[in-house]
Amino acid sequence: MVPFVSEATQAQLQDGSFQFLAIFLEGIPFIFLGTLVSGFLGTFLPRNAFERFLPKNRTAAVLVSGLLGAIFPVCECAVVPVIRRLVRNGLPASCALAYMLAAPIFNPVTAISTYKAFNDSWFMAGSRLGLGYLIAIIVALVMAKVAHSKYIKASELEHAHDHEHPRTLSAAMNNSLKDLMDVGVYFAIGVTLTALLKTTLIDPTTDFWKSLAENSLAGTPAMMGLAFILSLCSTSDAFIAANIANFREAPKLAFMVFGPMMDAKLIFLYSTVFRWKFIIGLLLALFLLTGAFSLFVEFSLAKIWEPKIP
Amino acid sequence: MTTIETRLFGLLATIWGGVLIYFYASLRVNKYLAENFHLFVLVGGIGICILGVYSMISPKDKTSETHSCHGHDHHDHDAHDHDHSHSHCDHDHSGHETCQHDHDHDHDHGESCDGHHHHDEGHGLATTYLLTLVPLIIAMTFTKDRFSDLGLARQGAYEAPPESRAPFTREDLEKNVPKNAQGEFQLSLVNAYYAGGDKELHDVLDGLPVEIQGRLMPEKVNNQDGMRRRIFRTFISCCAADATVAGVSLLFDTPTPDPPNQTWVKAHGKLTFEEHQGRSYTVVKVSSLEAAEEPYSEFIQRNR
Repeated sequence: MVPFVSEATQAQLQDGSFQFLAIFLEGIPFIFLGTLVSGFLGTFLPRNAFERFLPKNRTAAVLVSGLLGAIFPVCECAVVPVIRRLVRNGLPASCALAYMLAAPIFNPVTAISTYKAFNDSWFMAGSRLGLGYLIAIIVALVMAKVAHSKYIKASELEHAHDHEHPRTLSAAMNNSLKDLMDVGVYFAIGVTLTALLKTTLIDPTTDFWKSLAENSLAGTPAMMGLAFILSLCSTSDAFIAANIANFREAPKLAFMVFGPMMDAKLIFLYSTVFRWKFIIGLLLALFLLTGAFSLFVEFSLAKIWEPKIP
Repeated sequence: MTTIETRLFGLLATIWGGVLIYFYASLRVNKYLAENFHLFVLVGGIGICILGVYSMISPKDKTSETHSCHGHDHHDHDAHDHDHSHSHCDHDHSGHETCQHDHDHDHDHGESCDGHHHHDEGHGLATTYLLTLVPLIIAMTFTKDRFSDLGLARQGAYEAPPESRAPFTREDLEKNVPKNAQGEFQLSLVNAYYAGGDKELHDVLDGLPVEIQGRLMPEKVNNQDGMRRRIFRTFISCCAADATVAGVSLLFDTPTPDPPNQTWVKAHGKLTFEEHQGRSYTVVKVSSLEAAEEPYSEFIQRNR
């Protein structure tokens, strides 16, 4: 018991601690995996190796990069340290952006989990993967027109030079440790914030949240806000979306597309690579694009496909 | 990173890894994560410890981050026309994504290249320790490895089941659900919960003798006379943070019995249903209550 603290606050402290540890235990192994991969890629991958297999044409390169998640599936926690190193190793920033945004959604694990969560619905699984890819490509192609120094952090650009790094195990381990520490800090901040919000401001059992289910125009942004705060893993968030009762296609789709691209922990992870101004812009762009496309799917395509919503 | 920084970061990584291994070895991980994540915790913990210990023993590859500043030729695919003015070295930097030509220009980073400039990366030792260890220590101090009653309510313990078809029929029950020695169906709490939302099933299942297992918590729905408790189970996909709690009301003949909240119990009685504020709920009219052994994992994993 904490003296001078109300019973409700003590309960929130207990619940916040419980949820912090749950997300920490779940996420850190994958953050580690990402930083291990990033450390070894950064050390052993020849600079500009991607130039060899990505199309020379920038648009085609972005389109292909958005599909790489199908071959190299990664969750949203692991992808950030990986693209950070890839950018340093010469992967064009727009291609990295396409991979970073699309891979957590456009991959076989997410496809299967979404398909199963929505009672074997190809419509929901297809819509989710399609929207994830489409939005990632749109953002990446727009950013391809912008000098990457405008949105990549200066420290990252400085490393994106033709340095002669030693290719040794020791160097790889050193790079992995650096990445783990850099990303781990932002992960801890994000998880703390998520646990704090989940135990204070956000309560999906209130009448306010329930009333949103009746109107997709209001429910869609609300569900994106919920996805932002819940910071769930993209491989399993479909089960949550499917079980949030009474919402229709657009809010559920928006929840599953927006969350893996932008959430409370990711915003801090992104700040290891990108400038804050860009991250805020990205948040707004993803919010608008995901909301608009999700509503389009509900009001047009869903009527044709008649999906099953559990 | 200096040698001492690398060693101390290595120590921090070892602590993180140690926490993961501790949760796995003590089985506390069962209270936080779905079973298919347990191995990741162990492997991740061991891997992070190896990285941390390696960094403490072999703290610095002196050349791992040195930068060769002599005549960089930046083919960053995205060459563009702009001049950076570097104070001492001539780089060929390209930072634009539209044009594709290489050119030489200078950067102005205000640093000397012959000393291998390094922009400050990371967050510093003290900040990293502070921002990662403090929340971890607070969380490990205040967690009780479960939600409080307030937390259970926020996760949906008092919510009515969704109004939809239950995933089973009376025939399914007869075929698949085992009976105990008293002839009661050993019905899962989840099925009992969902039956509440399927009004077509109410008549079919009303009065069914059942044995239901779960954890006890106070009842807040339709409990003016204090004759009720609630029994619940928790669903998760990955971790406790995505938990949903499903609860069923227990109705007693006398003021509610002793077992404290959060105790695992088996409730014996008759299944019934009731309407409250326009929503249908499952209720078990309890004939007896007995302590039950805590299952290996208290979570029910959502279907994958």
